[in-house]
Amino acid sequence: MKIEMKNIYKSFAAIEAVKDVSFSAEGGEVCALIGENGAGKSTLMNILGGVLSADRGEILVNGQEVNFYRPADSLSAGIAFIHQELNLINDLPIYENMFIGRELKKKGGILDLEKMLDKTQKVFDEMNIKLDPKTMVRELDTSYKQIVEISRAIMMDASVIIMDEPTTSLTNQEIKRVFEMMETLKKQNVGIVFISHKLNEVIEFCDRYSVLRNGELVAEGLVKDVDVDQLARAMVGHELRTNTLQRKNAQGKEVLRADNLSYNNDFKNISFSVHQGEILGVTGLLGDGRQELFQAIFGSGQIESGELYLNDQKVEIKNTTDALQKGIGYLPRNRKENGIIKDMNIFENASIVTWPIFDNWGVIDQEKQKQKFEEQVEKLRIKMGAKSDSINSLSGGNQQKIVLAKWLTANPDIFILDNPTQGVDVGSKEDIYDIILELAKEDIAVVILSSEAKEIIRICDRALVMYHGVIQGELDRDKMTEHEIMRLATGAGVNSVQEGT
Amino acid sequence: MQKNKNQNTEEGFKQWFLKKWSTEPLFSTAIALAIMIILQTWSLGFDYDSFGSWFFTWTRNWVNILRNNSAVGLIALGMSFVIMSAGIDLSVGSTLVAVGAALMMLLDRGPNGILINLGIEGIPAILIAILVSLAFGYFLGNLNGILITRGGIPPFVVTLATMKLYRSVTQHFMQGYNPRVPMEFLPISNFEIGGYRIMPIFYWLLIAGGLYFVSKRTTFGRQIIAVGSNENSANLSGVNVKKVKRRVYAITGLLVAFAAIIQVSRIGSMDYANAGSGYEMEAIAAAVVGGTSMSGGRGTVIGTILGVLIIAVMNNLLNLLGVPPFLREAFKGLILLGAVLMQKNQKTA
Repeated sequence: MKIEMKNIYKSFAAIEAVKDVSFSAEGGEVCALIGENGAGKSTLMNILGGVLSADRGEILVNGQEVNFYRPADSLSAGIAFIHQELNLINDLPIYENMFIGRELKKKGGILDLEKMLDKTQKVFDEMNIKLDPKTMVRELDTSYKQIVEISRAIMMDASVIIMDEPTTSLTNQEIKRVFEMMETLKKQNVGIVFISHKLNEVIEFCDRYSVLRNGELVAEGLVKDVDVDQLARAMVGHELRTNTLQRKNAQGKEVLRADNLSYNNDFKNISFSVHQGEILGVTGLLGDGRQELFQAIFGSGQIESGELYLNDQKVEIKNTTDALQKGIGYLPRNRKENGIIKDMNIFENASIVTWPIFDNWGVIDQEKQKQKFEEQVEKLRIKMGAKSDSINSLSGGNQQKIVLAKWLTANPDIFILDNPTQGVDVGSKEDIYDIILELAKEDIAVVILSSEAKEIIRICDRALVMYHGVIQGELDRDKMTEHEIMRLATGAGVNSVQEGT
Repeated sequence: MQKNKNQNTEEGFKQWFLKKWSTEPLFSTAIALAIMIILQTWSLGFDYDSFGSWFFTWTRNWVNILRNNSAVGLIALGMSFVIMSAGIDLSVGSTLVAVGAALMMLLDRGPNGILINLGIEGIPAILIAILVSLAFGYFLGNLNGILITRGGIPPFVVTLATMKLYRSVTQHFMQGYNPRVPMEFLPISNFEIGGYRIMPIFYWLLIAGGLYFVSKRTTFGRQIIAVGSNENSANLSGVNVKKVKRRVYAITGLLVAFAAIIQVSRIGSMDYANAGSGYEMEAIAAAVVGGTSMSGGRGTVIGTILGVLIIAVMNNLLNLLGVPPFLREAFKGLILLGAVLMQKNQKTA
């Protein structure tokens, strides 16, 4: 079977997510679809999977034009889409999961469990999968869950399977298992579209590649003709390093030092340090473990082994309150879920962190809070109505500034900012960069977590690049290029997929 | 001209009223209460000619309503804090009998009385008994809080379990044991001022005032809203979420202990099988009618007081109107539904 997408266009409001992209996939080959976050990979595949419909362009299956209005249409044409968030029900056994929505029934509507069990076993035998179909899905690790989803697709006679970043949350050993499965599929003439930004996996397992950047197809060809470096360059485009926010600042003494921090598979053997007045960038792609690492340092996650030093003193952070008292600030990513509190007004959202700091016997010092708040509003140029208005009345950028303000009033020694410019308009973005530079000038140790290499290059003095919970490399200001960051972030530093530990 | 101006003010009032009505939950709750009080006043047979006797009946009626509801009123305040933190406490009724039993054992003038056997009598015994039972209530509430935060068990399950546990253990130990409370203890609730026994009302409103301050002005009070509205954000803002939650349950236990003291001193005894049963639902209903959101993050002390009063006045009204007893619960249900529907509309407005 051959699937072709020709000259596909798709835009959301004013943003063109996919521009004139053609793409094809054939039975018996693995085709990699790669690109940065927001490059249009998911949009393109959602069109193929019937989740979205294209504005223009056509889809051909075996040369015949087709229209997909719903995921079911694309499924009946033999295209299965395995999303990143797996679609299995934990509390049912494998064989019942295989038939969700299409349960086999006996007369009178009673489930025909024997037949379902039998059919599942047959598929597993064909695919050479050693799993007991009666196992509860809850007991499977992520790779086996993925294998169950793939088997389900096979059972529905899918001849092309789209896999959206299947290896992101897997350990190395699990990755190997999924690739073995993909090998088997290939031999049975099933086509696979492999969405990823892990370039070494692409090089190792895929036959063809297509690279998207800003919604456009920028490169395609056979994998055997390229190397990781070329793919990385294609993903980010030409070497961009314009408009770096230059600054000269003498760094002060060390504020935070991590020594061999590990927790489960989230992060492993992490050692680094941050100094007064330094802006340290930490980057990587989805599943790199940087969020888990810094949430653990902030007392909101766990650390299994390793030591943490603040101002040369060994510390243990019990919870976030403890972190706050020890001078650590943390601006979380996903403002709506982690940053703002919708039932509180602007003023309260901006002062929640300092309530316990400026209170007398538990009574909030309204005057002091008001004064601090007004200082921040002026300093951060926050545009707002009355301070008792709902936080929801503010724009995304101003909401983010309120979340920033709540930490700035606490005067942290070290300030961790996770995706500080996420969902923020361009103007506010520049404002936030200015604020960050200002903080470093005031001798605060700043850590920026970001998945945007451009952002890291623009404002950081030094960058750590993480991949799968491990620091892949450390880059000084003059060595930071998007290409180099992408190379490290895609695990190119690792020669091949190794056995997990 | 004159007429026109009148029309304008009328129009202005209408707009003001509609705006308040659709945006401020407290306003609409207060209006609902006012309407009920007017109905109640009317059904008490208001009459110009015999104003004096009417006023007497009216006052006595109100003192009764407030006094009869001050125990539930105290519990409802705790409950509204718990619900604001996105939790629930089903164990309040059982905590009430457990604390009541402890109080009576301490005060017992018979051969088994704890304090009397230690040689403590009179006013010191009463003070000690009160302090110990408050501490006991705090302890039982705290236990709920610890199981919820440390054990990671949902509040509904924890407090359902302790609801069974506290009452059952109390009943077991108190069977065949009838402590006699000293007479000096009874004035705590029954002391008369101007011919009215208003002490419980006084305690309720005093404590409510304190809690109003706590909820509006203290770090802990505002952190309850933060935790109930968005636990993640609260945690990542350096709020000790577990501590806030634990303290909310502990304070509810403390308020229940106050309620137990009021109950025991009102009648000098306690029915361990039935006392306080159903109080959890009464308290939840009052909190919800008063505008507390079951999903947390929203609620006020004043709203809860209004909620208690609405349910109390309605009970009284149904009584005065001679509605058959079995039907009265139905009206409570309707009021609850009505209140929640109204609040829902306000949210979207």
